[in-house]
Amino acid sequence: MSLDISFIGVLIGSIMASSVPLILAASGELITERSGVLNLGVEGMMIIGAISGFALMVITDNLFIAIIGSMLSGVIISLIFGFLTQSLLTNHVATGLALTIFGIGLSAMLGKNFVGIPGKDFPILFSSLRESIPFFGPILFGHSIVLYFAFALPFLTNYFLKKTKLGLVVRAVGDSPVSASNQGINVILVRYCCILYGGGMCGLAGAYLSLIYTPQWIENMTAGRGWIALALVVFATWSPIKVLIGAIIFGGISILQLHMQAVGFRIPVQFLIALPYLMTIIVLVVISRDSRKIKLNTPTSLGRIFYKEK
Amino acid sequence: MATDLRISNISKIYPGCIANDNVSLQFKSGKIYALLGENGAGKSTLVKILSGIISPDNGEVFLNEKNLKLSSPLDAKKNKIGMVFQHFNLFETLSVFENLSIDATEDNKSLRVRINEILKKYNFSIDLDVPVLNLSAGQKQKVEIIRCLLRSPKVLIMDEPTSVLTEQETEELFISLKKFCDEGILIIYITHKLKEVLSLCDEVAVMRKGKVVSVSQTQNEKVETLASKMVGQKLAKIKKKINTSKNKDEIFKVKHLNFYSDDPFETNLVNLNFSLKKGECLGIAGISGNGQNELFQILSGEIITPDTSIIFRNKEIAKLNPKQRREYLMAFSPEDRISQAAVPELKIYENVALNNFKSSNFFEKGLVNERKIKEHSKKILSDFSVNTDNVELKSQFLSGGNLQKLILGRELITAPELLICYNPTWGLDVGAINYIHETLIKINDEEKSTILISTDTEELLKLSDRIAVIYKGKLSKIMPSVEVTPEKLGILMGGGSID
Repeated sequence: MSLDISFIGVLIGSIMASSVPLILAASGELITERSGVLNLGVEGMMIIGAISGFALMVITDNLFIAIIGSMLSGVIISLIFGFLTQSLLTNHVATGLALTIFGIGLSAMLGKNFVGIPGKDFPILFSSLRESIPFFGPILFGHSIVLYFAFALPFLTNYFLKKTKLGLVVRAVGDSPVSASNQGINVILVRYCCILYGGGMCGLAGAYLSLIYTPQWIENMTAGRGWIALALVVFATWSPIKVLIGAIIFGGISILQLHMQAVGFRIPVQFLIALPYLMTIIVLVVISRDSRKIKLNTPTSLGRIFYKEK
Repeated sequence: MATDLRISNISKIYPGCIANDNVSLQFKSGKIYALLGENGAGKSTLVKILSGIISPDNGEVFLNEKNLKLSSPLDAKKNKIGMVFQHFNLFETLSVFENLSIDATEDNKSLRVRINEILKKYNFSIDLDVPVLNLSAGQKQKVEIIRCLLRSPKVLIMDEPTSVLTEQETEELFISLKKFCDEGILIIYITHKLKEVLSLCDEVAVMRKGKVVSVSQTQNEKVETLASKMVGQKLAKIKKKINTSKNKDEIFKVKHLNFYSDDPFETNLVNLNFSLKKGECLGIAGISGNGQNELFQILSGEIITPDTSIIFRNKEIAKLNPKQRREYLMAFSPEDRISQAAVPELKIYENVALNNFKSSNFFEKGLVNERKIKEHSKKILSDFSVNTDNVELKSQFLSGGNLQKLILGRELITAPELLICYNPTWGLDVGAINYIHETLIKINDEEKSTILISTDTEELLKLSDRIAVIYKGKLSKIMPSVEVTPEKLGILMGGGSID
């Protein structure tokens, strides 16, 4: 392995790519949780997004339709969760777990005929700049549009929550749905919207995997990334920027440990595989240990069932 | 413009309970109206109907002869009916300004100007950019009031507003309310505190079991007449014989009680020292959130603090857990009946068994002796006049008063030497309060001691032999209760000094 400067640039670029699905799914789930809804179905929604994106690409041969379709499928499957938890008042945890199991099973069934079909090249932006600028080229350029969107998303989310009226309403609903309802806010509607948004982002995260990152369909290809995204939201104490940091660390160490394995460091493989999980948790715990801030960011009503008095 | 609010034949029926039974009332601006009643009398249901949170099964509301359709809180807002809830409807993690801006239609800049005008006009001092959880209860209430005032209300409904306030804060509130009234806002004041009705309100409507039983001018009423209307029977007056004998044995002594926590929701306790004699009641006053929770948990053994010495019946017990302390004849009645003192989903007899003491034989060879527990529970139900004899009933179906009687009964039937209770009559109605007070006095008469941590100054003055005030985790001087007045307590509770 040569550790020249251009190699590091490429390495950083690939780290960024590997963290995209985590950023997308965690940012979506963050909004859902900020409204007080705990949706453990992230993994299920991602894998549904992955298969529907890939299937649409094969059927229509149109990547745009595939991307939009994957988001829509995430929205539709999260609508089931929303209907159960918000309208039928089922338990968030149980419903979310069921959603994940359902998503994995359904995607495997739908995906049977798509195994082994090669994917399509996804258009990348500024590919000429990527080659011409050393080091920064592979970092900043030559990525898909989804990657640029993903890296902007935590900042947009932060702005939405902190600066906009709607963001304020979402935080209020997550803090105290009863108070919000008594102030005339339609709590159920707000929560539905946040659930559907979270579903859409998870769908997109799945499509990124099957259309861009590793363009093909493999059964269970999300491989636990949904659970990582969920954990990121909690360990980042519901702060979008910390979610971004956590996702990059996780993606980074996942890639680095692969290289370390390849080089043949004399560290047990099991430890290297566990390293991303360990480091992400340690870093996020260390950067978010201000208990006051945690209290202010934590949606107080998270996971609690809200029903309106009549 | 004068405001005229008329409620006509309102009924609201819940399964198994008529919350409002054909209620008709009339209010006119320029006066402060009291709506008086025990818990469960239907006051809250009525104000929830007026604020659009629930809809009545029957009946109509007229504002200036216009029939209002109040099917959501938005309708109440549109019709300029403002409401300050007993349990604040604020968002604790949002800043004061965010709380106020959430339903504003104007932009933030002009809203801030208007809020500042209101703050100035009524002499409120509140930092708009701190999170609400940092505010005291009195300040939170002001935020709620400002929220109503921003919409220039015609009607302002206050639901049990003084339950969390100090004497001073209460006085301030009354001054503000009178100001609002002079400005033409119609004020409806809901309470079960009789003295407040007499000192603040012009007219009083008494509710009992969902019905309006009387409407009268307050100047024609006295505490006794209102009380008997509210309860429906004459109440026995209770008076404690103050325990003056000084040469009794010391039974309980706390030294160097310190507690430090990182949690912003907890209060640190700084070097608390006090002692207690046999048959004595020590009252600890203070506004909630000044360290009472932590103190109670340390005294009951839920939290063990290092370097603290607690001597009880000549034995060091600071390191014992709650169960061991109970076996050594201490008893505890926490503030939160539902989540700390009892498990609401369990049946009455199961809740009784939770407090299993050594001599009870509730459990034999690891098995539950149901028959024994049920017998024991029946005895508690009858000895402490709990309003049921069905030990199979789930505890959540007991009213607050009956649940508290059950908890006290469970604690007292072990004949403890010391009972520590925290807000034992919180949220209860006059009848139940009377019963609990009688029980607590009886304990002292039997030469048993009590520590009463309470936010109700009247209760403290009535029951304690000596009183201390806790403020920001520090304990004031301990004073004989005969030397203490509500005003003095109020000053100490607000952090002032009386020397």
